[in-house]
Amino acid sequence: MLNRRTFLKATGAAAGAAALGFPAVLRAQPKEIKIGAVHPVTGPLAEIGQACRLGAQMAVEAINAVGGIKSMGGAKLVLLPGDSETKPDVARTVAERLINEGAVMLTGAFHSGHTMAMVPVAQQRRVPFLVDISAADVITLNVAQSVKEGKQKTQYVYRNFPTTTAFGRKAIQFMNEIFKATGTSPKRAVLMYTNDPFGKPQSEGFIKAHKEQGAPFEIVEVIPFPEVPTDLSTEVAKARAAKPDIICPITRAVSATLLLRELAKQRVDILGVISPGAPGLYEKGQIDALGKLIEYTMDNVPWINPLSAKTRKIAEEYAKRSGGKTFDTNSGYSYEAITIMADVLERARSTDPDALVEAIRATNMKDPIMVAGGPVRFNEVGDNANASTAMIQILSQKPLVVHPKESAEAKLVFPAPKFWERG
Amino acid sequence: MRWAALGALAVLLVLPNFLGSYLLTVFIFIFFYAYLGQAWNLLGGYGGQISLGHAAFVGIGGYTSTYLAMTYKLSPWIGMFVGGAAAACLGAVIGYLGFRFGLRGFYFILLTVAFAEICRLVVSHVEALGGALGLFITFSGDPWQFQFSDNRYYYYIALGLMLAAMGIVALVERSRMGAYLAAIREDEDASEALGVNAFGTKLAAIVLSAFLTGVGGTFYANYLFSLQPNTAFGIPLSVEIILRPIVGGSGTLMGPILGSFILSPLAEVSRAYFAKGGLSGVHLIVYGSLLIAVVLFFPRGAYPYLRGLVRGRRGGA
Repeated sequence: MLNRRTFLKATGAAAGAAALGFPAVLRAQPKEIKIGAVHPVTGPLAEIGQACRLGAQMAVEAINAVGGIKSMGGAKLVLLPGDSETKPDVARTVAERLINEGAVMLTGAFHSGHTMAMVPVAQQRRVPFLVDISAADVITLNVAQSVKEGKQKTQYVYRNFPTTTAFGRKAIQFMNEIFKATGTSPKRAVLMYTNDPFGKPQSEGFIKAHKEQGAPFEIVEVIPFPEVPTDLSTEVAKARAAKPDIICPITRAVSATLLLRELAKQRVDILGVISPGAPGLYEKGQIDALGKLIEYTMDNVPWINPLSAKTRKIAEEYAKRSGGKTFDTNSGYSYEAITIMADVLERARSTDPDALVEAIRATNMKDPIMVAGGPVRFNEVGDNANASTAMIQILSQKPLVVHPKESAEAKLVFPAPKFWERG
Repeated sequence: MRWAALGALAVLLVLPNFLGSYLLTVFIFIFFYAYLGQAWNLLGGYGGQISLGHAAFVGIGGYTSTYLAMTYKLSPWIGMFVGGAAAACLGAVIGYLGFRFGLRGFYFILLTVAFAEICRLVVSHVEALGGALGLFITFSGDPWQFQFSDNRYYYYIALGLMLAAMGIVALVERSRMGAYLAAIREDEDASEALGVNAFGTKLAAIVLSAFLTGVGGTFYANYLFSLQPNTAFGIPLSVEIILRPIVGGSGTLMGPILGSFILSPLAEVSRAYFAKGGLSGVHLIVYGSLLIAVVLFFPRGAYPYLRGLVRGRRGGA
């Protein structure tokens, strides 16, 4: 009896064989290797998405300029840019289309929800997906788990970005090292966070790492505030009442502005503002708007490596191409994802998905352009365990890396002068 | 007409054998949004009670089944009906408040928006539901967990949903309730004067509409593998749901389906051909312009226009 299911299976298998077997022959010596890059180029995250796309595009051009993939006869990379429109359903559809257009690898997608929507596409269609930016631990963890339980055969999803857990761990580690190096010993910390898909897990990661790794300071108060606050005076008053030595804020642009102004207004007496990792505390627009209030603020963020000559050169070109924008975390990680893919292709000598996965797993790429704890290497979960953050500080109105020492371009200032002593 | 419908159905049934994964995805979203549009159509199209908060039902349905699956290992196949029931309860609350106190027009719209926003904020702050980060579903490809390694299964489920909603709405349309709804839409006071229980009919419509939309939430969650309060309860999703019946012709059975078959490909084509160059966002301008053109040409929706065209030809011949 031929029911729909067996019919489906049979036709599916036939179609699958036709789809997979045939191109395998064609794939032997490609002149072009297509990479699909899905980013939120329009919608609420448009600015970030455009930075990511330009970063990826520049990386592709740079690789082609020095001869493409040499092990494959100098095959050129071609970027297939996709726009998720900041919507998860569009992210999934676009990923499918880019694969149809010939993408042999995928990268993206900045928003963890969008990345999640692309994961099943990568797994189903056996197209390796190197996540360039997305911090939620589950993205790779889930797939690794499924493979371990035998529900999926191979893991096609990998990531070169610090996970939420890594963010928290690095924040505590760096803070401990900084306090030791400066001979300071803050005792009381107040954690303030914006309650949104970014702030919430970020704050939890910080608290968890604090518990696990231990620190000389205690988190005496945790104060959430809504996603787009109109006023933070109550929250700051509450923080002030807790008599903190340091304030650890997890902000967005608007809340960062309000928070720093309010801290100064209420003359909160602290050793410094150290963020476990948040936007809003280092962007040019923010620095211009806040002036000396944002000076000395520290932030634990993924950052480009300022000591690498390679990175500095890319940054110069990026500024030219983008009309004066900074080569930052977003454009940087999207750039780096492409360089890792090129390295993978070079070693795989093929675009066969399983050969690519094998090459990804064997990756050991030195001199990453981002601040990192070592070469790019993927662990059993599929994450680059060396993907790291850096502690940056606003000094003379510029965000500069001050920690870890190997990547530091300036000497950190801690304790910071009080808000009212800054002239 | 009947033969044309059967023919179309036959084509849709065998289509997956000829489509790749990408086009299947496109069709899946056509069916899925047609389904949600049809559920909305029941209340908004037939009953004239415009809801701009239908995403809330998607969110409730999706969150309920996903939470039950993650915490109690309850299969989403069962959870989807629990989710539907939860959404129906919310629908009953909104309906009771709105209709009992006689909110009409803009005031009812505002009420639905407010409820969707309340849901979004509440879920953002509930620890067990993942807070603002949302819930993430492990991709395993296990059919019992509403997951499939082949897009064809999703295709048939989405098609089934669309057809089921169509069947239900067709039944309502032919029943006394359908006539009541249309009467309420045209003139609520007059219909009440004739003895129509406007409150009860509208309440029944919103409960049924919410239930269907809630069931769809499970599909949404298990096809996109994560739920975030901002996307699952957000206004953009509500607008996405409403656009289909409006473009296709609200208050008609084929409207949401036709609307979905017009809008999704339109969006996809503009994305595929105009999103490549250096100028980002051009495809949205193209899509927006096409949307304006469609609305200008078919002010009452595409389906009534087409129907008029077919009838006009027949009459002329």
